[in-house]
Amino acid sequence: MHKYILRRLLMLIPVMLGVSFIVFTMMYITPGDPARIMLGESAPTEEVEKFREELGLNDPFFFQYGRFVKNLVIHQDIGRSYTSKRPVTIEILSRFPNTLKLATLGIVVAVVLGIPTGIISATKQYSIFDNAAMVAALLGVSMPNFWQGLMLILLFSVHLGWLPSSGFSSYKEMILPALTLGTSSAAIITRMTRSSMLEVIRQDYIRTARAKGQTESVVINRHALKNALIPIVTVIGLQFGYLLGGAVLTESIFGISGVGRLMVESINARNFPVVQGGVLFIALTFSIVNLMVDILYSFLDPRIKSQYK
Amino acid sequence: MLKKKSFIILTSFLMIFTLMVTGCGGESQDAATESQPLIVAQRSDAVVLDPHANNDQASSRVMRQIYSNLINQNESMELEPGLAESWEAIDELTFEFNLRQGVKFHNGEELTANDVAFTLNRALGSSHVSHIVGAINPDGIVVVDPYTIRIATHEPFAPLLAHLAHTATGILNEKAVTEAGEDYSQSPVGTGPYKLSNWLVGETVELVIFEDYYDEANKAKIEKVVFKAIAEDGNRAIELETGGIDIAYDIIGTDVDRVANHSDLAMVRDMNLSTTYVGFNAEKEPFNDVRVRQAINYAVDMDLIVDVVYLGTGEPSRGPLGGNVWASNQNLKPYGYDVEKAKELMKEAGLENGFKTKIWTNQNQQRIDIAEILQNQLKDINIEAEVSIMDWGAYLDATAAGEHDMFILGWVTVTGDPDYGLYPLFHSKTHGDGGNRTFYTNERVNELLDLARVNVDPAIREAAYIEVQEIVRDEAPWIFTWTGEELTGIRDNVKGFKNHPAGHHKLWSVYFE
Repeated sequence: MHKYILRRLLMLIPVMLGVSFIVFTMMYITPGDPARIMLGESAPTEEVEKFREELGLNDPFFFQYGRFVKNLVIHQDIGRSYTSKRPVTIEILSRFPNTLKLATLGIVVAVVLGIPTGIISATKQYSIFDNAAMVAALLGVSMPNFWQGLMLILLFSVHLGWLPSSGFSSYKEMILPALTLGTSSAAIITRMTRSSMLEVIRQDYIRTARAKGQTESVVINRHALKNALIPIVTVIGLQFGYLLGGAVLTESIFGISGVGRLMVESINARNFPVVQGGVLFIALTFSIVNLMVDILYSFLDPRIKSQYK
Repeated sequence: MLKKKSFIILTSFLMIFTLMVTGCGGESQDAATESQPLIVAQRSDAVVLDPHANNDQASSRVMRQIYSNLINQNESMELEPGLAESWEAIDELTFEFNLRQGVKFHNGEELTANDVAFTLNRALGSSHVSHIVGAINPDGIVVVDPYTIRIATHEPFAPLLAHLAHTATGILNEKAVTEAGEDYSQSPVGTGPYKLSNWLVGETVELVIFEDYYDEANKAKIEKVVFKAIAEDGNRAIELETGGIDIAYDIIGTDVDRVANHSDLAMVRDMNLSTTYVGFNAEKEPFNDVRVRQAINYAVDMDLIVDVVYLGTGEPSRGPLGGNVWASNQNLKPYGYDVEKAKELMKEAGLENGFKTKIWTNQNQQRIDIAEILQNQLKDINIEAEVSIMDWGAYLDATAAGEHDMFILGWVTVTGDPDYGLYPLFHSKTHGDGGNRTFYTNERVNELLDLARVNVDPAIREAAYIEVQEIVRDEAPWIFTWTGEELTGIRDNVKGFKNHPAGHHKLWSVYFE
């Protein structure tokens, strides 16, 4: 198991290098001069040229990429933001706590709503609850986040006056963003739980468990749910990894300073060092979440654990 | 049985979640401070708090509270003494400034002429603001004594005083900048009425009152000011309505009536220094024919654009400068909507059957809407226009290279001096990314712009600018589109707030009733 984890961690090195090369190339070939964007349309040409030189943007592509890799590997330095002049690591890490809180709360909402609903839907297939839950799940998946966020603000902030419409420092401020972000993932988790449970409860060993006289709750929770969890955990892991990459729309609507907004702003400003650092960071967190999901499999299914050896 | 169990599981989950969120909700209610801070929302957080490290609006709005300038520009765009209590022209190149004595920086250091010299030399080396101070000759910055400094320009430069009132020329403390090094943009030290207290990047900038502010009579009235970044336009109005903030900058057209008609809120509306225009490529056929450019100006119903796109905020432009800019020619006759006249001009130009063209814009919804309305209205004079939406960076590059037919852009004459609003946009020296993206050339305009730049006599300058505006209006390198408005929403207990036309509103005069 340890060897497996170590191997997976080592594999991150080529993955990160590949990611950095792809992002670097994409930013390089995207039209739009960072110097001109930053100085604005009113800056004289010679100043733009001077600024390009300062930023090292006149150097050949491979020279620029080599310098980036060298600084990253030897000095663990991703550089400074073109706009704020802060070190990129500080730019990202100062926003990551908000993203982590938002993603965690979002996934808690999703799991709390999604798994029980999925289980009940599966055990009561084609009941009114099941149909209602599936319609709600369809709505949850289809509703755009920004619209849902605005509707929640309209109801809870404007009409009822219960919750603030922006900010992310107190728990009260976190409710609406968490609900906005969590419901679409909840819908996906509900559907996955339902289909996975439906598949499992038709298995022979469930019939056997019932025949042994086990109570329905033991059959569902101990025999069925545990075996149905692998695809559900996969989906939760993917959703969590995706949310950690930054939920741009939710962050924008509720005025949360997170990684997603930083990335969008940096891409628009052609702020290369921040985009580079941000993508690497997101890729890293995504890979780590994936690895954790893989490790979790082994606890859910001992057969998988044996494959790791 | 299963039904009961499932119900219990579901209820337990929901209870835990409810407890988690409501149990902690009290925290924010207790957070109200005793000295009631003034909370001001703007679209984005400050990027830097170093005047030479960037020149964006959000940062400038915060920096206006932290730094002071040699010269102030009030809400009527008049120049007033700031850190310099007086000044005089020594010769046609040089001004001498007498500094106030006993002015303290936020770090306790006393302001001297060396700080001013250091600030201007540092600004000259910054690509971000050199267009504001570029006229200054670094060898002409001479410290006469600790409270006297001479500033000379390369050539006579009449708008110098207005440039010295720009936020980019806020005076820095040499020691603080040198000590902070690369991190200065996060730890600003000025002589302004507020100093930085805390900065949550991307969220809030907290400022506290500076007790040793030099201008006793104008000391800040509120202990603490918090700038909050709320990117979503509608949310700023909602937060104002629900009492989460006290002042909301940049209220959008759709929310103006809602805020104005709300019993607890008020709108503060004033014309600003911005203009939006549709430029032609005056070097390219058929736009090199003045009759075609005029015909298009006649063919566009600008009142409709202002009503539909800007929802009645701002006003249609008469010429290249808004009314707040000194020497703006408000006697210019607007083109007006006259399709018949447009058709006549097209016929005279031999283009009664029209032509095909492209209107470029960046991803700015209002500009896209303008482009689409233009596309529709130009059909009346047989012009078939295609709208092309481009990424900002690519857009600036392509319009600077002169690859366009028609394009939509804006300009802010931030110094309030016509030189800033005319020279870069219409002088032939600035073709391309110098600012003149229409590639318009007129020798008389060049001559007048040069004359008004170097002549310090206000009467001569005014006459020159009035004539430039007349020529530009007649030769129409632009479709004169829209002059903007500062739209600020405030709660009704907020008093003493005034919009500044440049958008950098002073908050030290604000108080709660």
